[in-house]
Amino acid sequence: MNLARRTRWPAASLIVVIALLAWGGIGSTGIPASASTPHASTSTLTIGTTEEPDTLNPLTTQLVTAFSVIAGVMEGMIGYNSSDHIIYRLATGYNVSKNGLVYTWHLRHGVSFQDGEPFNAKVVYDNWKAIMNSKFGAYSQQGWDHITKIKMPDKYTVVMYTKQKYAPFAYYVGSTYLSPPKAFQSPKYDQQTFGRAPVGTGPYTFVKWVSGQYIELKRNPHYWGGLAHIPTIIYKIVPNDNTLMVLLKTHNVQMTPYLDALHYSQVKAMPGLRLVTKPSFSWYHIDLKNIGFLRDTKVRLALAYATPIKEIIARILHGLASPDPTDFPPASPYLDPHISIYPYNLAKAAKLLKSDGFKKGPNGTLEKGGKPFTIEYWIPSGEQQESEVQQVVSASWQKLGINVTDHQQDINSIWGPNGYQFNRKMTGGAYSWFNSNDPDDSFYWNSKDIPKTPTSSGGDAVEYYFKYPWQAKIDRLTNQGVATINPAQRKKIYWKVQQLLHQQEPVVFMYSQKNIYATPSNMKGFAPSAYNDLLWNVQDWRF
Amino acid sequence: MGTYIIRRLLGLIPLLLGISFVSFLFMQLMPGGPTALLARNSHLTQQQLLAIRHNLGLDQPWYVQYWKWLLALIHGNLGTSYIQYRPVVNVIAERVPNTFQLVVAALALAFVIALIAGILSAVWQYSIFDHTVNAVSFFGLAMPVFWFGLMLQLLFAVQLGWLPPADIGSAGLGDYLRHLALPAFTLAFGTVAGWSRYVRSSMLEVIHQDYIRTARSKGIRKAAVVLRHALKNALIPFVTVVMLDTPLYLTGAVVTETIFDWPGMGRLFFDSLSSRDYPVLMGLLIFGAVIIVLFQVLADITYAFLDPRIRYS
Repeated sequence: MNLARRTRWPAASLIVVIALLAWGGIGSTGIPASASTPHASTSTLTIGTTEEPDTLNPLTTQLVTAFSVIAGVMEGMIGYNSSDHIIYRLATGYNVSKNGLVYTWHLRHGVSFQDGEPFNAKVVYDNWKAIMNSKFGAYSQQGWDHITKIKMPDKYTVVMYTKQKYAPFAYYVGSTYLSPPKAFQSPKYDQQTFGRAPVGTGPYTFVKWVSGQYIELKRNPHYWGGLAHIPTIIYKIVPNDNTLMVLLKTHNVQMTPYLDALHYSQVKAMPGLRLVTKPSFSWYHIDLKNIGFLRDTKVRLALAYATPIKEIIARILHGLASPDPTDFPPASPYLDPHISIYPYNLAKAAKLLKSDGFKKGPNGTLEKGGKPFTIEYWIPSGEQQESEVQQVVSASWQKLGINVTDHQQDINSIWGPNGYQFNRKMTGGAYSWFNSNDPDDSFYWNSKDIPKTPTSSGGDAVEYYFKYPWQAKIDRLTNQGVATINPAQRKKIYWKVQQLLHQQEPVVFMYSQKNIYATPSNMKGFAPSAYNDLLWNVQDWRF
Repeated sequence: MGTYIIRRLLGLIPLLLGISFVSFLFMQLMPGGPTALLARNSHLTQQQLLAIRHNLGLDQPWYVQYWKWLLALIHGNLGTSYIQYRPVVNVIAERVPNTFQLVVAALALAFVIALIAGILSAVWQYSIFDHTVNAVSFFGLAMPVFWFGLMLQLLFAVQLGWLPPADIGSAGLGDYLRHLALPAFTLAFGTVAGWSRYVRSSMLEVIHQDYIRTARSKGIRKAAVVLRHALKNALIPFVTVVMLDTPLYLTGAVVTETIFDWPGMGRLFFDSLSSRDYPVLMGLLIFGAVIIVLFQVLADITYAFLDPRIRYS
């Protein structure tokens, strides 16, 4: 090689060559032009979110963001409107036998999947088989696992025989998003194939998913419910809240669901946007590990009295939450309206602890039997709002003489094998749990869901590991709840559940945050609620 | 030179082995794990969770996992993403062009601005221009990228509405360049600061050499002396710096890509780290290591081209 050969601008030439090489890919993955244009026309609606779905396979995802998209593409036999009333989608009705064990579903005629496959009774049967087949890895078999056999007397009738009375059956089975049988015949019915390109009977057809950027849906011209108004929906994935706010302000994103309270006033000031707030099914609480002093009801009640919930809602959450005295959020039709949160009362909290034998030690920390009252207070890191709540609660508990230490850790680590749940210290961990339309809450409290080992599911944590002194009572009530079909009778049972939880305060129940949506101010037909996924009525949205 | 290149490339093998081993080890030490979130799933039984861990190979000792990963790598297989459930090669491949385009634009911008600013600062040493460039350079070096990016976004996209705030754009070349402008400038700005100081000092060193004085005394115009005689020699170390900095751009545009919603490798790295997507992280680390070493070799070759006195053996 002749190294003496001179080149005038090797670096500049290199850059030009690289630029030319790179040119091939320019614009190839950008979102469709109309979607990125400010003040998008009525032809495209761009919905911004900071959370990308893991998969669009409804059987193998648990993410709200995934179901938001799936709801536009796929359907179940029934759905729920914004008043929590059943709406019939792929079924036109269903009957339950007198003994509550046989469900007969009448299916809609003339419906096809977006790939042309017809919808009929065999589809429902195949979905049951797939959900129960571990090969397909369905996360939830709830309801479907109660079916002992299915009969199909005709093409559009499905009769399901169940092994025992199970009140949530119609909800779980009916609202499962149904996949076309062709998908199950493929050995690759997994996240990689169907989950990246779902097919359903819904008002929109999946077009494209560019990872890290967007998911594109186009309206289904053959939708049984009529043509949707907006031709294209772009579900845009944005890396962080700051960027999302900028995109909203510049109208590059026209809508965003599930805003947090911190951004409410910021978005409110943006022209062209309308904010919609609705009650949610979330319940924010502090999980108390059921060990040490925390096993004592008086101690837990004292912590509840020492938690300034109303102040937190007013000052930190800007009023965008409701006090929630149990695990039944205000959105639930099963809520017992006679129960309210324990009022903030430090004197009463101190009195409760004193009556329980606690005394202040030489350094001002409460002690009992020579053991100091120390609590580790954990929250997932990266959430400013929760961090502020933690500071307020922690400071208040410290006023009682409890030695509270604040901890934050990323969610993967908190729930990982080395997370705080697996130690034997007294801890509180603050989270929001989300309920479903059905009031069954046995998962949280019933002893059958107490994990057999610390690393199994069902809570994973030591705090759920011991039975409560009132365990038999809550077991009986939650068992009755799922076995009672009559809604009025069920309501009475769940009121008793709430009363018991309120008396015992197994965790510090705090509040239920509202769902906040920003939409274009000229968009009509948007009717979000806690009872359905974001795109549940997307065919009615219009400008 | 050929032998040298082959030797450097062969040296990549133990280097990559070392990097992959250490990276794999560190990932195992990270708290949490890919199935930590799944474990909290209310509908997932212990059997299902164990089956998922088994399918992903997470129930095996880390050295077995590493060995399997290594064997697959030898066959060109980087595995499957735990989160996207797609081959890692596909996941990374679709991000490479985006990062590449951003980096090329930022490099070109930084190169041109740093060159002009550096030359003029040297020629007009201690002038107002020199002091201004100096001040801007320190500003650029001290500026956190995330803050500078946000400020540019607020000014040019939100307040003035001249440029799109984020995303990659797809409505033709003009639209693409408008989308590229802010992230490329953000990425380039910090580098311009350092590079312009480098060109300046390199130029100052050269223009005080005897052969420059001789050229001037022969009556050659100052501009011609600077551009033809001084710049060429002053550029030699600068080009090396550019070459060595380039892979850092390629692997380090994490913050810029996140602020401007640019779907490149930096954002992929950040997302994969947050979700503990080990296969993608390993793929990106190996890719980054290969790029860094290749550019080091390229820098050596370029250096030899520019300075004929240099010989590699």
